[in-house]
Amino acid sequence: MTVNDCYDKMGANYQNVLGRFGSESMVKRFALKFLQDDSFDQLKDALVKQDAETAFRAAHTLKGLCMNLGFDSLYEVSSALTENLRGRQLNGWESLFEKVEQRYLIVREALEELQASE
Amino acid sequence: MELKGVYGMKKILVVDDVEINREILREILQDEYEIVEAENGKKALEVIDAQKEELIAILLDLVMPEMDGFETLEVLKKNKIVERIPVLVITGDHDVNVEKRCFDLGSCDFIPKPFNNQIIKRRVRNMAEFFENKLQLEKKVEEQTAVLRKAFYTLQVQADRLKKRNQDIIDMLGTVVEYRNLESGEHIQRVKDYTRILAECAMEEFPEYELTPDKIDTIVAASALHDVGKITIPDKILLKPGRLTQEEFEYMKSHTLRGCEILDSIESDWEPESKKASYDICRHHHERYDGKGYPDGLAGEDIPLSAQLVSVADVYDALVNERCYKDAYSPQDAYHMIINGECGVFSPKLMEAFRKVRKQFEELAKR
Repeated sequence: MTVNDCYDKMGANYQNVLGRFGSESMVKRFALKFLQDDSFDQLKDALVKQDAETAFRAAHTLKGLCMNLGFDSLYEVSSALTENLRGRQLNGWESLFEKVEQRYLIVREALEELQASE
Repeated sequence: MELKGVYGMKKILVVDDVEINREILREILQDEYEIVEAENGKKALEVIDAQKEELIAILLDLVMPEMDGFETLEVLKKNKIVERIPVLVITGDHDVNVEKRCFDLGSCDFIPKPFNNQIIKRRVRNMAEFFENKLQLEKKVEEQTAVLRKAFYTLQVQADRLKKRNQDIIDMLGTVVEYRNLESGEHIQRVKDYTRILAECAMEEFPEYELTPDKIDTIVAASALHDVGKITIPDKILLKPGRLTQEEFEYMKSHTLRGCEILDSIESDWEPESKKASYDICRHHHERYDGKGYPDGLAGEDIPLSAQLVSVADVYDALVNERCYKDAYSPQDAYHMIINGECGVFSPKLMEAFRKVRKQFEELAKR
């Protein structure tokens, strides 16, 4: 599996991210790092515990990472959730989080596939 | 690129709570710089405190646990670190208010998300170079200011020395006049005192004279020399009890010009204002406002103000004291004689000032 295939699978534009980082190896290295990041778990955990502050920060981190790594589809939904949580109020986040989780799993799956094909 | 080894490389601090972000930035910048990392504001401040001399830029994320980017910036602004190390804020929220607040807190640029390899390199390099130049210029200015300050101090010392020198010249000549017992030492002191009283009143009443306390000091000191030329006049004329013949009187009048010759012969450093005041007073203290005085027959404001002031003081003191050729008048009589124009013609403005200080003159005369 190429890095391009991986980005196609997760609904993201590989050319954009390649343009920003300059080389395929660099894109790949950083993209795979995402597998070790725990901000999604922190987000989920905080929402369960009704911890709005931590939830916002985790969502913000997730959004920022997706922006940098060019995970466009996950970026869109995590951005919407971040704005929902920005006021540190837990209202109407459920459907937004559901989308985030859905896309997150797709991204993870694609990345794991890329890692396995090394 | 020249490799200086890790410790010789310029250092950049990356402050971000997300490890991947720090790693991306490190990857982008590590060719040119040594990278130090901190995961929140608190840790960043510790690093800055310990390594502020080596840091050439700080990249600062805003949303972080423990201490966020804004709080960190506030501390850095207060410490004036933002003036010495460029702080570039990492931001993905393209929010005008956020950017404005960052600028207000002293950050100088932004690292926009998503990260772009080339743009980050350029921005960091630009800011680092800009600050390096800025600091170098500030240092140069500081050095030059120090040089100027030193030069200014030297000049001040020399000015003080010159002032003292002036006073020495005047005192020396004053002593000569006194020693020959031409005028008593008291006369010289009283002329100085009357001159000061009148000059201070004139400064208050007539701003057009442009008198200042400094100028008054100079005039008062110089007034001690008004009759220095008299040391060249023979005793038989100077101390003659009766009326002088026409010839003798003409000779007597030459004390003004002879005084100037004496002053001219002094070749030592002499502050120009002090020399000019002494010269003007010496030469012109017998001029009359109507132009009928001597030696030059100057009229009105052509007569230097210093000489006009001393002239009033000198006439008044001569009137209220006994002289070899006359008895003393009472201060009341002296006042009226001067006001009525019986003892010379003076400027109307100085006569107005003279009226105002009548009491002060009389108190001095009674001593």
